[in-house]
Amino acid sequence: MFRVMLYSQWKWTRLIVALGSIAAFALPLVSVQGAARADSNPLQAGELLQAVQSWGTLYPVLAAALGLLVAIATWAPDHRGRHVHALSLPLPRWRYVLLRFGAGATLLAAPIVAVSAGALLPGALAIRFALAVLVAYAVFFAVSAGTARTAGIILGLIGSVILVQIIAGVANVDLDLFGRVQVLVLNWPGPLAIFTGRWMLIDV
Amino acid sequence: MTNAIEIRQLHYRAGRAFQLRQLDLNVPSGAIYGFLGPNGSGKTTTIRLVLGLLRPLAGRITVLGDAIPDAAPRVLARVGYVPEQPHLDPTLTVRETLRFQAAFYPHWDSPCAEHLLRQFELDERTAFGRLSKGQKGKLMTLLALAQRPDLLVLDEPTDGLDPVVRRDVLSALLDYVSQRQATVFISSHLIHELERICDWIGVMDNGRLITEVPMARFKNGIKRLRVAGAPPSAAGAPFMILAREHVNGGAETWVVRDWEPEMAAYFATIGAALNDVIDLDLEEGFVELLRSFRDRPSSS
Amino acid sequence: MFEQLDPRSPNPLYAQIANRLRVAIAAGELRPGAALPSVRHLAGELRVNPATVVQAYRDLETDGFVEMRQGAGTFVREVPPEGRARERARQATTLVRQMLGEAGRLGVSLAELQAAIAEQIGVGTA
Repeated sequence: MFRVMLYSQWKWTRLIVALGSIAAFALPLVSVQGAARADSNPLQAGELLQAVQSWGTLYPVLAAALGLLVAIATWAPDHRGRHVHALSLPLPRWRYVLLRFGAGATLLAAPIVAVSAGALLPGALAIRFALAVLVAYAVFFAVSAGTARTAGIILGLIGSVILVQIIAGVANVDLDLFGRVQVLVLNWPGPLAIFTGRWMLIDV
Repeated sequence: MTNAIEIRQLHYRAGRAFQLRQLDLNVPSGAIYGFLGPNGSGKTTTIRLVLGLLRPLAGRITVLGDAIPDAAPRVLARVGYVPEQPHLDPTLTVRETLRFQAAFYPHWDSPCAEHLLRQFELDERTAFGRLSKGQKGKLMTLLALAQRPDLLVLDEPTDGLDPVVRRDVLSALLDYVSQRQATVFISSHLIHELERICDWIGVMDNGRLITEVPMARFKNGIKRLRVAGAPPSAAGAPFMILAREHVNGGAETWVVRDWEPEMAAYFATIGAALNDVIDLDLEEGFVELLRSFRDRPSSS
Repeated sequence: MFEQLDPRSPNPLYAQIANRLRVAIAAGELRPGAALPSVRHLAGELRVNPATVVQAYRDLETDGFVEMRQGAGTFVREVPPEGRARERARQATTLVRQMLGEAGRLGVSLAELQAAIAEQIGVGTA
């Protein structure tokens, strides 16, 4: 079952995975390349670090994009058929969801490997990239797995947080909901902490 | 005799307007059960409930001996489903779709699938999304049959298909039923097709099952009678009167149900004359039945 | 062979099928020992319930026209001349009943009918 699932998901996501892998492979190389200079002056350590760091902001973006696109493409055929096919198959829903998740995660291995290949060493960067991709994938997978109603609920939640924030602002109540959420989620030990901080090829 | 599908006191509501209430339905094992009803009467909803795609609000559904939706995954391995709308991945080719399905059904019959592929003349390299409506219908039937199910549930399988495709699909279906003692639950509004193949018939209208009888009894039991000189109230009739219409003079046309030839004697007892007994085909009988239910104030 | 099959007729389908086969056997169209199409094949071809075909074959077996052999199929039996004559008589009666019923509906009298029959027979043999 996993094999046919993997095959069908590959058909939907192969373009994303292929392009993502190329980008993931190129990113470490390009970020170093960008630091090279045409003139004969020896590379300044500081400039090198700066260049690498500025390219580094692309890693979390690429990770998030890959996670998002693969998650959406994974569920696209089900949404088209209104889940009738999946629900009429002789296996429990949770097993089906698990198969889909596993297949998508397996396909994401390609860009992850590409990053470590491009960085020429399976270092902290590659591991961090791997985790970031999987976290993004899991989050968007969960959103896409549900019905339109579930996605609506999630958006509704986000919307109500925004609304509460606006009302608080109008009422002059000091309530920084988004800031709090941001701190909770993006800083360690929050789940999305992996996306923040500096992405460096070399451990600085 | 066991029932392949048993529905008891089913209650379901979707939105404010539509609901199924107190639905009792029985599909005997090995029967070909025709599920008739006008659009919007609740046929597709009932089918979805039977397959566990929807959850009922109240009532009990048993399919092949197991409760739905609790044991749905186990039961669905033995049920071949052909839905109204194509539901498969449009990017997979015919061959890839076959391979996908085969992985989920333990009793998949590859030689049968190949045979039907040739019989239906489907090109295995065409993507599902690119197939014509008729070809999609044929493929979905093929998939349901290659599973070797004990129960086939078909929701308007030949709707919108041209006559040639319809014949092919029905032939393949009947061929399968002859080989195995499978039960077929088929909903359609192509009454003439159902007339040939069904041995049971259930009629839905407005969320209720208004009749469920063996096909022979339904077809032969509904008659149009030409009656003369009948009193306004015909009490004690051994048959059920669906409609009475005055024609001219003292003549009337009655549409009755559960008719048997011996009942002709009844007319003498009320001082009337029975002039003619006219057979109605399934379609006419169905229309009369519906009409009688709608004209009558809500009872049952 | 089964082109006249009419699901709308009050005559049940199994009876129509059995009847057609009976006529074919009595007239010699189907010879003794010949195999009838399998239930599966005929049901698929006529697009009728297999149970219908089974019932038709069973009726024929009861009347002594065929023999159902488990696993092998259904085969035409040798029908003795009396059997065939009986079948022809049955068919003739049915034809006459139909004709009389139709004549009655059209308002044709018995005498007019007989005159027409005599004329047609004369035409046929002339």
